[in-house]
Amino acid sequence: MDAIAIDQPEVTMSWQGVVRFLHKTPRAFLPMRSFPSLELVAGRGIEGDRYFVGHEAGFYSHKPEEGRQVTLFEMETFEALQRDHKIELLPEEHRRNVTVEGVPLNHLVGRRFRLGEAIVEATRLSTPCRHIEEILGKSVFDPLINRSGLNCKIIAGGTLRVGDAVRPI
Amino acid sequence: MAKAVKTVSTVVSKVEDLGNDTKRFTLVDQDDWELPPFRPGAHIDVHLGQGLVRTYSLCNEPDDDRRYVIAVKREREGRGGSNFLHDRVEVGQPISVSLPRGGIALDQEGTNIFLAGGIGVTPFISAIRHLERRGRSNYVLHWTSRGRPVLTDMIAPAIEAGRVRLYDTNAQAKPVIAAIFEEFAGSGLAACCGPAAMLKTFGDAVSAWPDERKHIEMFTPPKVIARSDVPPYELYLSASNKLATVTPDVGLLGTLDALGVDVPVSCGGGICGACRTRWTEGPPIHRDRVLSPAERQNELIVCVGDCAGQRLVLDL
Repeated sequence: MDAIAIDQPEVTMSWQGVVRFLHKTPRAFLPMRSFPSLELVAGRGIEGDRYFVGHEAGFYSHKPEEGRQVTLFEMETFEALQRDHKIELLPEEHRRNVTVEGVPLNHLVGRRFRLGEAIVEATRLSTPCRHIEEILGKSVFDPLINRSGLNCKIIAGGTLRVGDAVRPI
Repeated sequence: MAKAVKTVSTVVSKVEDLGNDTKRFTLVDQDDWELPPFRPGAHIDVHLGQGLVRTYSLCNEPDDDRRYVIAVKREREGRGGSNFLHDRVEVGQPISVSLPRGGIALDQEGTNIFLAGGIGVTPFISAIRHLERRGRSNYVLHWTSRGRPVLTDMIAPAIEAGRVRLYDTNAQAKPVIAAIFEEFAGSGLAACCGPAAMLKTFGDAVSAWPDERKHIEMFTPPKVIARSDVPPYELYLSASNKLATVTPDVGLLGTLDALGVDVPVSCGGGICGACRTRWTEGPPIHRDRVLSPAERQNELIVCVGDCAGQRLVLDL
């Protein structure tokens, strides 16, 4: 697959993770709803999500960004928030699309990896925003700094299911 | 480019004329998606267009999460919000609302004593439906009304069970408010929503109660919460030649927004650096966690910034 042969740093990554939860919402502020699968469309986003290119209705839609096509969050952060800040954050509350376990998200910026049958490229770390505190009524802004997930663009689309593997290319 | 989304988009799915000059409006998402969550007795701002914004309590309970139900009594001498809703709003019409705010911190164990005047019952209908849904009966509602009360259909089981005391003040005496609360002086939550005279009497009756055990719901707009703790200062935008005064209730970012300046704000909390802006006169107050001391000499993160002096000049 020539299309995905980009210049990756010469580091071998040996992790393997799994998709635990999938969420989307059609419009800004509305609760995220859990799904057993999501349709990832290359270059556009997740069908039915508020940042799907061509149907933008998200909080940040007025500031287009390629890397907002799909967003990821680490399961391990739930445990860290509970341990360090006594905050219970639920999978539907962080407002990212894909909750993964065993994936070192903070080390993947600039890299491509497999998300189920899709291929994504990490563009930047997500930053928390005050907006989430307004929606949740939980003081999660500071605790989520550097733990707020990963923004990715979709290089090759496909159906993503809960339980799918996440692995390096 | 799309406009920034600042409100929740809803559609009017039902309008019911309940009589006694009151209409009930049901707002839903266009795809019947769940709406943002709320606490029992919370309220929303309803944006009616052309700057007309009015605040109404939600009548439904948090578990009923795919609709917002508000009840609006026409105030013929009011400021126009209720007349607009009564005369101009129809089924199918899109209406923008704020995220829900506030709500009643219900007493889990003790008795929740609700006192309502007329349409002021709305937040307590939400609270009662919330409690009833959980099979709890630790509340009583004292509700005065001139003539036939409306919205009784929403709390019919509570009325049937004798947990609602109705006072038709056209036909009977008003309740003795002090006596209602006297028997609960040692425990429980006291809450009131109604006309000014009722609120005053209620306030007197529970003046000795600790603050966490009393809740007053005002009909007036929500209290302005200062976004900044600095005195007002002048803001001049040198590139666009715009001038404004930044006040604590609006803040720097709100003032820039009002001036129509499209600053690329992202996190809104001073950590991402998206809104960094050059300043030439100040000195500014820096509250961000992004800029180095050297950068702060000529840049400001405006989403959390302010001015320590009387005039801030930004290169915008």
